[in-house]
Amino acid sequence: MSTHLIAFFTLREALRRRVVLAAALLTFGYLVLYGVGVWFGYRDLQNTPGGPPGLTEGVVNLMLVGGLWSLNFIASVLAVFLSVGALSGEVDQGTLHAIAARPVRRSEIVLGKFVGFTLMLAVFIGVSASLMILVVAVITGQVVGASWSGPFLMLLASMLLIGLALAGSSRLSPLPNGVIVFTLYATALIGGVIEQIGDVLESAVMFNLGVFSSVLVPTRAIWDMASAQLATGGFAGELSAGPFGASNPPSGWMLLIAGLHLALALGFAVHSFSRRDF
Amino acid sequence: MSDTTAISLVGVSKHYAATRAVDDVTLSVAHGEVFGFLGPNGAGKSTVVKMILGLTHPTAGEIEVLGQPAGSLAARADVGYLPETFRFHDWLTASELLHFHARLARVDPSLRAGRVGELLELVGLKDRANDRLSTFSKGMMQRVGLAQALVGQPRLVILDEPTSALDPIGRRDVRDRIRELGEQGVTVFLNSHLLSEVEQVCDRVAIIDHGAIVAEGKLDALLSAQEIEIRAGDGAEAAARQTLDHAEVRTLDGRLRVRVANDGETATLVQRIVEAGVPVYDVRQVGDSLEDLFVRVAERGDV
Repeated sequence: MSTHLIAFFTLREALRRRVVLAAALLTFGYLVLYGVGVWFGYRDLQNTPGGPPGLTEGVVNLMLVGGLWSLNFIASVLAVFLSVGALSGEVDQGTLHAIAARPVRRSEIVLGKFVGFTLMLAVFIGVSASLMILVVAVITGQVVGASWSGPFLMLLASMLLIGLALAGSSRLSPLPNGVIVFTLYATALIGGVIEQIGDVLESAVMFNLGVFSSVLVPTRAIWDMASAQLATGGFAGELSAGPFGASNPPSGWMLLIAGLHLALALGFAVHSFSRRDF
Repeated sequence: MSDTTAISLVGVSKHYAATRAVDDVTLSVAHGEVFGFLGPNGAGKSTVVKMILGLTHPTAGEIEVLGQPAGSLAARADVGYLPETFRFHDWLTASELLHFHARLARVDPSLRAGRVGELLELVGLKDRANDRLSTFSKGMMQRVGLAQALVGQPRLVILDEPTSALDPIGRRDVRDRIRELGEQGVTVFLNSHLLSEVEQVCDRVAIIDHGAIVAEGKLDALLSAQEIEIRAGDGAEAAARQTLDHAEVRTLDGRLRVRVANDGETATLVQRIVEAGVPVYDVRQVGDSLEDLFVRVAERGDV
């Protein structure tokens, strides 16, 4: 099996091409900015007398979930940019010819790239989310959102996008593939907002449209599950159900749908790439 | 497919929508043979190469490589390939590229470092082993590509235009490598535009045009067919046609041009023209190089 060779190669390419370095530097800059924002926000919160019990904890939690929402967005963009030309782009450039002529299955190339990108995103999400929780803990003295399942669900959302981008990349050139994957991602994002508004207005049509978009592309729904895990305390939970989460987080079935989605996307990528002519 | 056959194509076609890129090609290359595959641009050469490697799927026909169905892992296990584009991941160093391909080719880990060093020396890049490919010239990329093709010690090497970016010395070096491979019993499938290269190293050639094989055989046999030019009196063309009804006879600038298989046919032809009472003033041989053969094929689609 050469999957691990391709995965390692994919990781090394990202490191060597300084994709990871660029992402790390930008994320560090973002964390600094975020830390300054949290510091001022927390100071103002402490200077505000009164308020219901648990308000401070709730606002701190909201700041963290909002920050992680931004990291999730960056991770999603990184996932799409990395994988959108991973197959077709390399076939068009001719760099895959010598590799595919080796005793390597096409499925190993597809899965190797998937594993490589997933590992990269796992490190990105793991490190940046941990740093963000640490920043909030140091500034506010409150340890919130320290849940393993939150970052894991964020990674799952990125994996779904990698799967979709690889499926498209088995046939489509990077540009049209990128347009399609981002459109699907945006559909899921907008679908989540429509679902929330439908919930508030008690509009079954809007709510169902939102649910349908989540089934079509479950990235937003998986984030909603992640934010529910990251929001701690009853009051904090209510606050987090604003722009960065859902008032009714999806049930565990969404994990099954996401798993099915990922399996279908990777299955299609392997099937389609195996039949592709170079 | 017999035990002596390294590559076998039977009735192989590749159609893209309305285009017949390759049409009913039947070809076989013996083990240990250095085989030249020629054809004009767009004739279907690279498509045939990609089908042999399993990179492109034929629309019809059967292909076997080293006794295995083309595209199977077993068929690719003993094959080295230098792609026409010689594009590799340029963030790698020369040494890293060869190590990576050695792993893909399942070279024993204890042998990898030695093999990589030997090959870099062989292609004259030992001093640049740790330089990134992004700093390499086209010629250097082609040389490291050749080393990459040989890293698994393959029984079959497929070289798609291996010297297109090389200077004359580099070309000579590659020709020497190809000869050495042939002497070691390695089968070489050489796809090239450079006729002198093919002429110097190949045992046998095939010429493809418009997706079909139009000439195939040992180089000596193909080149022994020659064209002669005869300056003679009226009636020479009719006499020639009666004598060699299978041959290609034409008149060019008042002189008779006849394709003959060998010198014996030339002698018979001249004798018959004289016997027909037509005076013969001059007979000379024209065009007997691979280039002439190639140009005829490219211009008319046959030989």
